[in-house]
Amino acid sequence: MRFNLTRGVVLTIYAVIILVPLAVVFFGSFKTTPELFDSPFGLPSSISFDNYDTVLNEQNLSQAFLNSVLVTCSSVALTLFIGSLAAYATARIPGWPGWLIFGFLVLGMTVPAQANMIPQYALFNQLGLLDSRIGLVIINVVVGLPVAVFILGGFMKTLPREAYEASSLDGAGPLRTYWSIVLPMSKPSLAATAIFLFVIQWNDLLYPLLFISSDSKKTIPLALLDFQGQFLTDYPLLFTGVVIASLPMAITYVLLQRYFVAGITAGAVKG
Amino acid sequence: MNQKSHGTMYTRRRILQMFAASGLVAVPAACAGPGSGGGGDQGGGGGEALPTDGPVEGEISFAHWRAEDQAVLEKMFARFSEEYPDASVSQDISPSNDYQSNALQRIRSGNVGDLFVAFRGAQFVDMVDAGLYADLSGTDVVERYDPALIDVGQSDGTQYGLPYQLVFNQPVSNLDILESVGVTEPPPDWDSFLAMCEDVVAAGLVPMAWPGGEIGNAGHLFNCMVMNNAPSDDMCAKIESGEYACTDDWFLTTLAQYAELRPYFQPNATGTAVEPAQQLFAQGDAALLVTGSFHITAVRELGAQFPVGMAPPVTVSADERKYVGIRNATFILGVNTASDNQAGALELLRFLSETEAASTYANGTVQHLTVADVTYDNEDLAATSDWLSKETLLAPRFQFTDLDIRNAAEQACIDVVGGDSPEQAAEKAQGIIDQRIGS
Amino acid sequence: MPTTTEPEWSTESARSPGHGRTSGRRGRRRAGRVHPALYLFPLPALAIYVVFFAMPTLQAVQYSGTNWDGFSADYDNVGLGNFERILTGDDLFMNALTNNLKFMLVVVVFQTIFALGLAIFLVKNTTASTLLRGLFFFPTVLSSVSVAYTWKFIYDPNFGLANRVLEFVGLEQFTSSYLGNDTAAIYWVAITQIWFHAGQMMVIFIAGLQSVPAELYEVAEIDGAGKWKQFTAITWPMIAPATAIVVAYTTIQSFKAFDLILGLSGNPPRYSMDILSTRIYTGFANSEFGYAAAESLIFMAFIAAVVLAQRRILKFTQKDV
Repeated sequence: MRFNLTRGVVLTIYAVIILVPLAVVFFGSFKTTPELFDSPFGLPSSISFDNYDTVLNEQNLSQAFLNSVLVTCSSVALTLFIGSLAAYATARIPGWPGWLIFGFLVLGMTVPAQANMIPQYALFNQLGLLDSRIGLVIINVVVGLPVAVFILGGFMKTLPREAYEASSLDGAGPLRTYWSIVLPMSKPSLAATAIFLFVIQWNDLLYPLLFISSDSKKTIPLALLDFQGQFLTDYPLLFTGVVIASLPMAITYVLLQRYFVAGITAGAVKG
Repeated sequence: MNQKSHGTMYTRRRILQMFAASGLVAVPAACAGPGSGGGGDQGGGGGEALPTDGPVEGEISFAHWRAEDQAVLEKMFARFSEEYPDASVSQDISPSNDYQSNALQRIRSGNVGDLFVAFRGAQFVDMVDAGLYADLSGTDVVERYDPALIDVGQSDGTQYGLPYQLVFNQPVSNLDILESVGVTEPPPDWDSFLAMCEDVVAAGLVPMAWPGGEIGNAGHLFNCMVMNNAPSDDMCAKIESGEYACTDDWFLTTLAQYAELRPYFQPNATGTAVEPAQQLFAQGDAALLVTGSFHITAVRELGAQFPVGMAPPVTVSADERKYVGIRNATFILGVNTASDNQAGALELLRFLSETEAASTYANGTVQHLTVADVTYDNEDLAATSDWLSKETLLAPRFQFTDLDIRNAAEQACIDVVGGDSPEQAAEKAQGIIDQRIGS
Repeated sequence: MPTTTEPEWSTESARSPGHGRTSGRRGRRRAGRVHPALYLFPLPALAIYVVFFAMPTLQAVQYSGTNWDGFSADYDNVGLGNFERILTGDDLFMNALTNNLKFMLVVVVFQTIFALGLAIFLVKNTTASTLLRGLFFFPTVLSSVSVAYTWKFIYDPNFGLANRVLEFVGLEQFTSSYLGNDTAAIYWVAITQIWFHAGQMMVIFIAGLQSVPAELYEVAEIDGAGKWKQFTAITWPMIAPATAIVVAYTTIQSFKAFDLILGLSGNPPRYSMDILSTRIYTGFANSEFGYAAAESLIFMAFIAAVVLAQRRILKFTQKDV
């Protein structure tokens, strides 16, 4: 009883804390700039879709949207695939080689992007990968890989060994075991990792800004930058862009949530 | 140690591709030095002569940071394409922060920015050092500019770039409020400036809306505060060289004057960002917006209807006064040495420098320009045009080429407004500056 | 250099509580024979990572011993000069380090507690839980730039929500200039960071909690163990891998909270909000590539050290029962 009461109170308070700033953004997207400053936290005086109209009709926004979807989906899928292969191997390879590979890949998370930017720019330039969506996918995979190996590796080490040992006794090779035993059992952590990667890669601005120069290849965050100027920031338009850009992420999250249900059954194997 | 030669680049690239295909790239990639990625002649000073009469065709990339000018420029470029049907112009816009950090690398690669711009100060110096700017000396395009205003685009007597915008980094004033307290002319000295502030307070308004929370925008005030206090016009360069120090008397006087201004900023000024400061001014609650003329557009967009002027603080008595305000010439246009469309870039530069195009840009974006014979139709531009002929100092804060030294000096001013004593703030700043100079 | 980090990651995680008394090391040795083809699995990851990441990083390492400005053809070797200057004669670096430690400490402790609490409350897959999870996760999907703008709005001393609320409830004496207060600014940034990312870490905890076998709780329930006892005896040790991931990831995130700081404080950041990643950024912007690369190396070493130290502490509290 006490637990449930605490639970209700804590969740309500936290929900309010989360909601208020989000409401500022959402309602702000329907306001004019003076109105936003006048009553930043009030309801908009009228529901006007002018800002949405402006943002959506901004040239190339639909193209940018398509680019973002293409680049992010391919990057996430590719990162998950090669990342889970590597994570699985590091969880299974005994002794120091497994640790070494894991540590080497994970260390990438600690490197500040600026330290690599100039050498990476030169490398991509030489390989002709600048101003190309493929180049963006590659750099996204490279940046996402340490995160994926880190999360997946951590979880895969806790998978019950009996499961894949039994599988290899049945004569299945490592690829079969990986595909039909390890991946299905890792659904919760794969979903969590996918969410992380989506968030990182969908919002990435640094590399598109550095690499992309043609309008036709810009991603959403890059296209939204057009709304920001040096001396002038149109908050309502910016907020509108934020709402538009974050909707696909919200949908992705809802879709991936389903896999958490699978987690319970996977966990039960151990028992 | 020296950079590797470029002769091997082609083979290295081939090898890289081969190795990449087989997934074993480790060793060769190590040879891909950062310097070898760029096109153009590095290290040199833009040696070759510009092709002044090549064919104007193909896509010309214009790299800059003014997202808010995009629409105006686009219209202008459409006219350029009418004149040269084989050529088209694309804008490559980065926000100013990113432009500051990435532009040099991107432009040097030759992928973007056939025509490009630089901020006055450290960026222009670096870009000239990196050999990005083609030499414009002697080209006809230089003659379209006011010769007195373009020396910031020179380096060792060579005209590498042409500054385009002419802005005033000094407080913008709400003329209605000033008139209501009996001020019709910019205060000529320190006492009258303080008296004006006092009167505004008495009228129940904020004298100065100042974005003390953002060092970059807060620092515009620094220009006015030192212009008459410092013993020389290159005071910031001398702080950087170690000849002057923040603990010098003139700097301490400046800091003490910042302390005198404390009651005249909006409450909690050191935590205010630029947008709320603009809003405070736009809604008529503050007499001055303490940034510069470049914020007039933003204030208009926020709905301000009142007439605006400018009222820089003069920190001395009228007879000691050398300058009445601050100007800055920036957005330094240049033709990229690494570009393979220099003829197009130069023609585009010519186009921008013509009276007609320049007037469109000036009035469309509400900025004064360095181009000669521009007509200022825009009301705010016309109202502030008298400043073009006043005795103004070229903004000294951009003499700093080291960002950390500049921040230290400007942070000291913010700290004083926040409550530190001038001596304490000066000590702290000079400690950091000494470390930077020593390194 | 990477070798220093591994042993900790693996021994800890290998010691899956689900295996009863089998210790990680022994278990591994017993499973010593793996199919040789398994060694091919990391190759795609390693290949792309080495070419596009490790090699550029190695170049940065190489430049850390020089005074390269980032664009000139020439530079001089300065040996360990950069490192010496960073560690002995750079107050700005030390200021950023101090700020970063304060920031990290607050974020790691509070964000982890919040994330775990929320995860425990929302672990069951009911409709309400699913909705609330979605809501709590939502801030994460916003870009750092937009989060920074929103919070700049909240903290603004004249127009902002924070002061308005305080005035509304009659607590005027507590109104403040928030980011303008040099001693408190970094903590206000930490609050924003927690708002931003607690939901993200909640997701990891939920994934961890859902792999705890329900039977364990049923048995504990029968034995008459209360909620708190169940938490300390079952949940906390069982979610060790998730905790390890959350704490390490949060730490790294708080060292790299670069966009958020620049968004909140403007560029360049004020001293009171400067952290290591923004300091390094200023170094690059200031055309000190070699020096900033050296700062980056110290930054990496520092993160690795902090993460390892955390592992020790966690391991101590999460021993198998």
